[in-house]
Amino acid sequence: MDEKAILDHQFVVAAYTVTWVIQLGYVAWLAWKWRAQKRTAVRANRTQR
Amino acid sequence: MKKFAFGLYIVLTIAFMIWGYYMAIYGAPLDAAQGEVFRIIFYHVPSASVAFVFFAISLIGSIGYLSLRRGNPAFAQIADAWALAGAEVGVVFCTVVLITGPIWGRRAWGIWWTWDARLTTTLVLWLIYVSYLLLRRFAAGPQMQTLAAVLGIFGALDVPIVYMSNRWWRTQHPAPVFGGSEGSGMDPSMLPAFFWNMGAWFAWGILILALRYRVERQQQKFAAQEAQQALEATN
Repeated sequence: MDEKAILDHQFVVAAYTVTWVIQLGYVAWLAWKWRAQKRTAVRANRTQR
Repeated sequence: MKKFAFGLYIVLTIAFMIWGYYMAIYGAPLDAAQGEVFRIIFYHVPSASVAFVFFAISLIGSIGYLSLRRGNPAFAQIADAWALAGAEVGVVFCTVVLITGPIWGRRAWGIWWTWDARLTTTLVLWLIYVSYLLLRRFAAGPQMQTLAAVLGIFGALDVPIVYMSNRWWRTQHPAPVFGGSEGSGMDPSMLPAFFWNMGAWFAWGILILALRYRVERQQQKFAAQEAQQALEATN
């Protein structure tokens, strides 16, 4: 592989990595929010009883 | 049954994403002019397309909220949840566009950024929807949803401007590959990789849009319950 091809490859890896970090980071945040909501719902049910 | 269908959709989407990745890296040939760096297109363009469609969903939700908020408040809340989900997931995809674009640009043009019409209008679109999300996060009171809906409608007006920007003006950003002037288009050998990734990113986007919508609906139910309890406590 020549230097240009190596650099091209690094840029592609950077772009794909950033994409997945953003997407999976957002999904993780959504999952965390969902879990927090479930916990709140359980707590609210307990206090109502 | 509902859970099974949802699980199946997740599995199919993941399989779709893996196949899309395989096609982008190994299926598509090297671009004659740009070499391997051209493969960024398989993530960059589908992300932009998904962002545009989700901002359109946010627009429809915002219009729905404004038109239903007095006559049918229950449906207005559903419309508002779609508006928020569309805007938020749209911002996620738009962020991907605004980061992968400069990475590609640095290699292809030798610069990270330039204030041409396509890049600037995309940044403005992102800023409008980030301000929409900040408004929803920090503004309190009954007017918040109405203000957000109005901002959502104005924000969506930028989408056609972004889309048309490299048709109306001369830009550093390349001319449109699809739906451009005569001679535009992609080599047929690259089309399968492009369309597989387009489908995969739409499938992924719909999945997280549905999740975000569900979380927001749950949030609305909690808020309604809390308001009800507060009312009962004062009576």
